[in-house]
Amino acid sequence: MSASISIKNITKRYDSVTVLDDINLHIEDGEFVVFLGPSGCGKSTLLRMIAGLESITEGSIEIGEKRIDTLPPGQRGVAMVFQSYALYPHMTTRQNMAFGLENVKVAQDEIDRRVNDAAKILEIDHLLDRKPGRLSGGQRQRVAIGRAIVKEPKAFLFDEPLSNLDAALRGRTRLELAQLHQRLGSTMIFVTHDQVEAMTLADRIVIMHNQKIEQIGTPMEIYQYPVSRFVAEFVGSPPMSMLPINHIEKTADGVTVEVSGAGTVATAITLPAEFNAKDAVIGIRAEDTEVVSEQEDGLDLTIKVVERLGDRTLLYGTLVDGTELIAEDSGRSKVKAGDMVRVAISPHAAHIFDGDGRAHHSKMEV
Amino acid sequence: MKALNYSPEHLTSNRRLFWIAAFLGLIMMAPVAWIIGLSLKDNAELLKGTEAVFSFPYTLENYANILKSSSVFGWFMNSVIVAVGQTFGVLLLSSLAGYAFARLEFPFRKTLFIIVLFGLAVPEQAVIIARHQMFNWFDLHNTHIGLILPNLSSAFGVFLMTQFFRAIPKEIDEAAMLDNTSTFRIFWKVLLPLTLPAQATLGIFTFLQAWNDYWWPLISATKSDMYTLTIGIASSQTNFAQSEGLGFLGAQAIFASLPVVLVYIFFQRHIVTAVSGGAVK
Repeated sequence: MSASISIKNITKRYDSVTVLDDINLHIEDGEFVVFLGPSGCGKSTLLRMIAGLESITEGSIEIGEKRIDTLPPGQRGVAMVFQSYALYPHMTTRQNMAFGLENVKVAQDEIDRRVNDAAKILEIDHLLDRKPGRLSGGQRQRVAIGRAIVKEPKAFLFDEPLSNLDAALRGRTRLELAQLHQRLGSTMIFVTHDQVEAMTLADRIVIMHNQKIEQIGTPMEIYQYPVSRFVAEFVGSPPMSMLPINHIEKTADGVTVEVSGAGTVATAITLPAEFNAKDAVIGIRAEDTEVVSEQEDGLDLTIKVVERLGDRTLLYGTLVDGTELIAEDSGRSKVKAGDMVRVAISPHAAHIFDGDGRAHHSKMEV
Repeated sequence: MKALNYSPEHLTSNRRLFWIAAFLGLIMMAPVAWIIGLSLKDNAELLKGTEAVFSFPYTLENYANILKSSSVFGWFMNSVIVAVGQTFGVLLLSSLAGYAFARLEFPFRKTLFIIVLFGLAVPEQAVIIARHQMFNWFDLHNTHIGLILPNLSSAFGVFLMTQFFRAIPKEIDEAAMLDNTSTFRIFWKVLLPLTLPAQATLGIFTFLQAWNDYWWPLISATKSDMYTLTIGIASSQTNFAQSEGLGFLGAQAIFASLPVVLVYIFFQRHIVTAVSGGAVK
């Protein structure tokens, strides 16, 4: 019963302020797409426009083959789970879930069947006669999802539904949402500013920034091939380190760059002729670094903070010119704050960002 | 949380405050006790002197006479009709207006709301002559409608309900919109039940105000069969005190106060909430 969603040339303006600018996106039937971006980037607005809770200034939205942006929210065939759950406080769980079906005059036995089925899937069948005030945050969350499921919508819309849950429950619910998607096979759009949620849940991630879509791709495409410096810095924890480039030299395999006066890094990146070297930086993820002996090539890093995560150790340090770099060592690392270590960088894993923030990568399998 | 203070000085100070409060309470209650005493005495006995209140025997005869007196019962019914009608009317209109001001987009919404708020500042006395004239034209004096209508437009009620609707998260409306709910059904089935605490507060105050209202019924109800209790008792005081006696008058006053007392007893919690609303989080 699910359907594809096409967003065509969507623009949203409040008076003279543009909050979304010429957005184009096609979401396949059954796909789980996550809108990811910092606060104020327009991701929730876009979701609310699909839901019909915000008008659109220009463009159109289609679900399946049908244009829906002119229809009221209840007739678009979508169900939404809100950040605050937005359950009806005076109704029981059962009434909350049944309310939408009663409005469209679904037969009572069909309502009962759908409510009971959804309650079983979400393991809330013992809570059906309780009101929201007597439910925990996690249970309310499930009821909100149940209310969406019973409508058998063409698409599910989730507006930061996990942000009110504690860390442990958030992790568990995330897993359950992924299982729910596998089970229902429905089209789902999920808005979040939490990259872990995006990486773990999405078939494709839509990164939004400055009222525009910055990049669309699978989680690994986004992580390994960020199209811009913004995406590279926004996705990944710890964030990608950005080291200023002083000089670039072409080699047979790509380019070698001189970094912050701290040494050189050989990369397998081929730069185009029109490359804008002004303010260019090289981006390095912590896991693409390795602590090596003093005899090997690499950058000297003075360690300021050591973060032991058990399976690995993060080393926060500075290069000779004060540029910050985050490196990674094994879980049994002996490095401590104040030490100076030599860090080697994998030539295939570095990214170069030109003065305009555009990314250049080495050709590597994802 | 503030720790309890059990120091001797603090306890002594508390005891002193208690006795002062008790003394003031007694002063406040004295007239009520006096009226109750009068209502329980034989009228003939009271004619000799009101100090008879302090001695036996006591009787319920005055209360029995109220039930026999067709006029008092009629006034009581008028008060019930006016107070209940006004309460339901105010609740309905204030809720509708509050919802509209809080949730609907329409031209001059802010201006209209300010005009409504301005109504809070206009005393009834300022409009009473014009209102009397209008009701005269429409021949509404000496009717229940005439007694109910003027107070249906409650600026306080509209303000209270608007603020209450505004406090309900908009996501609730939005969830209902996605549940394919019509605007009226969102108001009636989803939001209105959530305003019950405000409805209770507004309902209680409206009922009490309508029950105790004296001025408008005095102007509008000129025929004795349309008197409300307040007007009826006041007229008894001047016309019948000599013939029917102080005891009967006292019983009428107590009888008239009963609904108000009952409302206070049953809705104490809501009244306290209303008065202290917003004081603590």
